[in-house]
Amino acid sequence: MNEERIKISQDLLSDGVGVIAASGYINNEGGQAIADAANNLMGEGCKTLLIDLDGTRIINSIGVSILLEILEKLMDEKGQLAFCNLTPTISKTFEIMGLVQYASVYPDRDAARAAIAGDASV
Amino acid sequence: MEVVLHLPVVPNVELVAAKAVETLGGALGMHQTHVEAASVAMVEACLNAMEHGGGSVMIRLRSDDHDSRPCLVIEVEDHGEGFDPEAAPKNSASRVLGCASKRGWGLTLIRELMDDVQIRSTPGKTLVSMRKYVESEP
Repeated sequence: MNEERIKISQDLLSDGVGVIAASGYINNEGGQAIADAANNLMGEGCKTLLIDLDGTRIINSIGVSILLEILEKLMDEKGQLAFCNLTPTISKTFEIMGLVQYASVYPDRDAARAAIAGDASV
Repeated sequence: MEVVLHLPVVPNVELVAAKAVETLGGALGMHQTHVEAASVAMVEACLNAMEHGGGSVMIRLRSDDHDSRPCLVIEVEDHGEGFDPEAAPKNSASRVLGCASKRGWGLTLIRELMDDVQIRSTPGKTLVSMRKYVESEP
């Protein structure tokens, strides 16, 4: 089960936009690791966060509940949450749990970057 | 084909059950998306059983032909206090956003991700039976 251990990296995509790459099992530990990265980026002034789930194939509702907490925190700060590289099942799970009602979903990081840059220029 | 697992309550053991879904679903020729949906439903059923069942969890997976439609059948059994499945509310984002607890999604996900779900629960035994057809709707 070690291959399912979450791997996280965080970076700035552009000014005020942070990206978190997460691959592995998004359970309570995985969700918390993403939340810690989100808090770091928000502490650096990011109000838009992109979570790239390339390499993540299995999730559970406890982990996704933590993503809902990140969403809520960003909404309180008038920020935005976006996801990319979701498998069809993760996409459907997010739809069932309401994440896609409040967050943006893009097929890959390039599409997300282009859309977020477009939003910023308006 | 049948697989029976007795899972102890240890961290991430639900992934063992998910792996069994992946193996059996693959052998049945299920599309990867359907295998992954059944895996998430299995994970949720295991987590519920471990949280509320108070002990080890029994898993049975088998292939079946239901009305001449090949499918994967998953059964998750625990021996907790039981609950009324009809009284379990369907969760929604609008219900949890703004609330301190954002949990309680297990049954909602299981019902949405699987094709048929039956829950029989009495004090001392809860059995969640789920079916995913090989040729399932996306």
